[in-house]
Amino acid sequence: MEYIVETKHLTKSFGKEKAVSNLEMKIPKGEIYGFLGPNGAGKTTTIRMLLGLMRPTSGSVQLFGKDMKNNRIEILKNVGSLVENPSYYPHLTAKENLEASRKILNVPKKRIDEVLQQVRLHEVANKKVKGFSLGMKQRLGIAAAMLHQPELLILDEPTNGLDPSGIIEMRQLIQSLPEEYGMTVLISSHLLSEIDQMATRVGVVSKGKMIFQDSIETMRKFAQASIQVKVNDNEAAWRSLLANGQKADLEKESVTLQAEDDEQVAASIRYLVQLGFSIYRVQEEKRSLENIFLEMTKEEQAG
Amino acid sequence: MFSVINSEWYKLRKSKVLFLLLVAPLIGLFIGLANSSIEIEEINAWHEKLVMMNFTYAILFLPLISGVLASVICKYEHQEGGWKQLMALPVTRGKVFLSKYLLLILLMLAMQLMYLVSIYLVGVIEGITDPFPMDIVWKSIFGGWVATLPLIALQLWVSIAFKSFAAPFAINVIFTLPTILVINSERFGPYYPWGQPFLMMNIGGSTGDVFFVPWDQILTVVGSSFLIFFIGGYLYFQKKAI
Repeated sequence: MEYIVETKHLTKSFGKEKAVSNLEMKIPKGEIYGFLGPNGAGKTTTIRMLLGLMRPTSGSVQLFGKDMKNNRIEILKNVGSLVENPSYYPHLTAKENLEASRKILNVPKKRIDEVLQQVRLHEVANKKVKGFSLGMKQRLGIAAAMLHQPELLILDEPTNGLDPSGIIEMRQLIQSLPEEYGMTVLISSHLLSEIDQMATRVGVVSKGKMIFQDSIETMRKFAQASIQVKVNDNEAAWRSLLANGQKADLEKESVTLQAEDDEQVAASIRYLVQLGFSIYRVQEEKRSLENIFLEMTKEEQAG
Repeated sequence: MFSVINSEWYKLRKSKVLFLLLVAPLIGLFIGLANSSIEIEEINAWHEKLVMMNFTYAILFLPLISGVLASVICKYEHQEGGWKQLMALPVTRGKVFLSKYLLLILLMLAMQLMYLVSIYLVGVIEGITDPFPMDIVWKSIFGGWVATLPLIALQLWVSIAFKSFAAPFAINVIFTLPTILVINSERFGPYYPWGQPFLMMNIGGSTGDVFFVPWDQILTVVGSSFLIFFIGGYLYFQKKAI
């Protein structure tokens, strides 16, 4: 498989502390990759190394199959980025900020108006960025990242400071990029709900280590609902179910079915009824992605 | 490379500090006009003006203004993550450093030329009839510029290193103010980098030398301080974590 981003044993130490440890990130072309982790997990440090702003202590970064160490300039021509807080020149207007980058990137002038339109800043194009709200600065940062229509867009916490309508707009914009321009997008966030709505692949990082990396569907499978059944004799019911070949767990006051689909639930319940158990309750318990995320990062911290 | 300089020039131009370039030549102009009452027997009336004007200009304003400009060219990069944004673009750090440096020395050359205009204006206003001594004035203008090259390199280094505007300025002042004392010392004067702009602009210096100071002094003091400051700043910027 062709990876746009691939890191091998990526490690960064600050003194004795390892901010990033043996991180193996793999992003296939055309994906929206959600880079998820609590604050201070090493997301920004990783992104800085992806952009060559910071040198890894050990390990390597490959973008477009080329090593960052020796091909930095060539690689960065195809990468747009927004790292941490929005960066800008306060003494310049929105347009002038983009113009300063445009001169280096050597793209046609009309791109400036195009990207300003895309992030809906065209009406304030000639106002000084100093007076912008955080959300506007954030949108300007994204505009700057898209100026040269890069193949890879790296956005670090792009919805920080945006209001709900701004978040929705940003989400729609980001989701359209792979289809319309063939871009690959890396978005970092500490909010799972945000990643859940945009990403096609997820990498979860905690304490500098990658603890999960797969498609969003695989992650969602962890979140499948389980069915709790409360009967007059839970233990007897549990034994009967197991004897009948139905996977189930015995809880304190209920039995939890690990059912694959609705039919299986129906069959199990019917079976219990036939055996003469009194069924008090059948209820669904959802494990949210949020819970899974918390459990994942907690396990890592405990270990 | 040109595109990087172009971008730097754009950012600096929009910061509206270029009027600073006018300050020193204007002060030179006023000094030249203010001293009109003093009469010194000279072969050429221009010489008297040059000595008067060069003193304040070369000792104080040339080093100070160049330092301030070096701070400004880095200030907006420090303010809101400019370095980060700039270095995530396809440019090398070396090119960024070199572009900033080249832009600064070009601006200082422009300031020297404006100072040349100031000198001429003083003569015109005062009605000096003697022929304009271009053969020594150009040496003064060009020599003064060469002597500031190391100072600009150091100021750029310091301005990249410190986020605050005050620190580079303080360092600049600390080294510039003693110049007035040091240049009077036969022993230390020739070796003090901050004294070189004055010594190389001082038309009263040894007339046998091309730039009013011996060649070996230019090469050793100006040349070596340039190499140390420039390479130091360059390497520092390469290693700096952004």
